[in-house]
Amino acid sequence: MSRTSNRADGDIVRDFLAVADLLEEPQLAQLYAYLAQEGEATVQDVMDDLELAQGTAYSYVNRLVDAGAVDVTDDGQPRRYAAREIDLTVTAAAGDREYTITPALIDAVGRRETNADIDTYIDRHGVAGLATALTYAVARERGEVTHRLMAEDLEISPLAAEMILQALRLVVHEHYDIEEGGASLDEVNVGDGDTVDDA
Amino acid sequence: MSRLHIADTGLFVAMGQPSNSCYQAVRRFARRNDIAFVLPERVYEELTVDDPDVEWPPIDAAIDEGWATVAAPLEFSEPVVSRVMDGIQRYIANADDRPADEVERADAALAALAALAAQHLSAGTATEVYISTTDIAAGEGAETVLGSEGYGDSVTFVNGFRFIEDLVAGDS
Repeated sequence: MSRTSNRADGDIVRDFLAVADLLEEPQLAQLYAYLAQEGEATVQDVMDDLELAQGTAYSYVNRLVDAGAVDVTDDGQPRRYAAREIDLTVTAAAGDREYTITPALIDAVGRRETNADIDTYIDRHGVAGLATALTYAVARERGEVTHRLMAEDLEISPLAAEMILQALRLVVHEHYDIEEGGASLDEVNVGDGDTVDDA
Repeated sequence: MSRLHIADTGLFVAMGQPSNSCYQAVRRFARRNDIAFVLPERVYEELTVDDPDVEWPPIDAAIDEGWATVAAPLEFSEPVVSRVMDGIQRYIANADDRPADEVERADAALAALAALAAQHLSAGTATEVYISTTDIAAGEGAETVLGSEGYGDSVTFVNGFRFIEDLVAGDS
């Protein structure tokens, strides 16, 4: 094996450890998702947009740089930072299952800070459970599954399934290109006529 | 022309609590147009489940305020009711690639939504039906199955999220 490929192996492990940090700490995940969305930002941007104190913002940014999840793109003053693309596929030993850790999952974990439903769900089911829920959320937006089937599969109440699916919906539409099905207000006819109340 | 507005669980979850601008926007829409959203009993049960992890959506508030109501039990003696229930379960089973009997067990509430629409269209008590849901598969399935019963022009799947977003945008 060449030295170059040994080094590439190291890169994968570095990515893996960086991802583990992000999934472990919602604040870091939130910052990573912010940088991934913005393209490039300064610490001042981070402070303004995520409402972080200066010390906290520097500390988080430096941790992400050390972990290899974020690069310094411009060493001038002020420094500019950008998220490194993360797309890490984990394969189970038997080789029959694999999961790709995507920016969408990191974004979802990062929203724990601001979304009570995601926070509750991680409390009950862990980040691993959230990853499963995100898979269902993508499938539901694509019209492949309903909240009740998810509830049946995961043995949770349909209401709990609906709540986490709704909390994850914006993440899904931010990261996946899925056209939204169905009609909206402009197709609901409310002109003359009676309504039925089924009483 | 009589219209029936059927609502699924997701619509009420998406509204949030009565203090939420989404809830208020939907209530204003219903009152202004003299609409009461009709929920199959199974949907009502789903919204009021005993689950300590979730806060109840405000369905009882909407019922008290008169713009939501729980449907009378389905008339299973009507052939169209059971046909539509079977049809939508097959549709979902196909979309999700799982056995129809599993869908029947897990998603009886969806079958009830579509069957309620079929019952009213077939009896002539409604000429237009709107089904508001946040499950894309449910909405598209209901449109497809009711379409195959000849009600294609009378049924509209309303995407609950887009509906609420448009209402809120129109209010601001």
